[in-house]
Amino acid sequence: PCRAQPKKKKKVDVKREQAQKDRMKKKIKKLEKAAPEMIPIEDFITPLKYSDSNRVRSLPPLSFEETERRVLLMKKWCLFKQKQDKAEWKAIQTLVEAQQEALKELRLESEELYQAAIRRDEGLFPFERDGPNYTPPLPGYDPPEGKCVDITKVYTQ
Amino acid sequence: DALVSCHRHYKSRPTHGIGRFKYLLPKEAPKRKRDRLQMKEINVGTEYEYGDVNIQMTSYDMCLVEHFAQYVHKLCNRLSIRVNESYAMPTKTNEVLFLEERGSKMQLDAVLTTHQRVVQISGLSSTFAPILLEIIQSNQPEGVHLLVKEHTEADFKSRLKSRPELEELLAQMN
Repeated sequence: PCRAQPKKKKKVDVKREQAQKDRMKKKIKKLEKAAPEMIPIEDFITPLKYSDSNRVRSLPPLSFEETERRVLLMKKWCLFKQKQDKAEWKAIQTLVEAQQEALKELRLESEELYQAAIRRDEGLFPFERDGPNYTPPLPGYDPPEGKCVDITKVYTQ
Repeated sequence: DALVSCHRHYKSRPTHGIGRFKYLLPKEAPKRKRDRLQMKEINVGTEYEYGDVNIQMTSYDMCLVEHFAQYVHKLCNRLSIRVNESYAMPTKTNEVLFLEERGSKMQLDAVLTTHQRVVQISGLSSTFAPILLEIIQSNQPEGVHLLVKEHTEADFKSRLKSRPELEELLAQMN
């Protein structure tokens, strides 16, 4: 009896384990066949309450002077923005030209320095910068205690 | 009449197959499974160039961040920098609770949504990169956090849904 039982255990265990492994492998293959899906972005799905046709804004009619004023203001703003854009583009061009000229001069000076300057900067990335604020932070501000809870919906496939 | 208005080109006629053009177009590989991920460029060369670079813009204000992403995309088009992709990362929602002055109850203050847009560029030369960064920085709007980093597989994987069953089975296998 002592001899027969361990033998049975070994065979049955090995078979069972192999069968289990095969089943798991099959399941894994089946799951891997399905392509991974992208998480849907909530920004691009308009909530249904905004597509209700009852929401219509009724604006009062504008007077002739008001429309004229608005059109002229828009034209002035367009001109201002165009000048700003052109100035920016010109600044970029001058920057690039100045850089190219400097590199040419450097090349004439010494080839080694030029090669070192052309090399890419490893410390440039990752680059992080916070946007400017409307108001600077108050010096003696004591914020109330609290916490932030992340309630993003987790999507699983 | 019927002969003139007939549109068929018979096989014996010289006009047979006159409208065919699909055989001239290059063969398109069928798009299946997930998109081709590894498009990394050579990073070493005579004129050093960066590989895939991600410009990630994060903010609480969705319109602002979208407009800024559009601006960056158009800027790259004007400067003839190749833009691989311009996509949005999933939005994160945060509930801000603060402790009331009298009492131990947490009071709900606001629900904030954080939006992130990514513009992926490649073929950026090392001399032009600082200039591009300078331009983007000077036009950065308020409240928009800018992050420029290289594209990695982890970045790509963060956009995909998690598969807990597959991971469980893989963990069990090993």
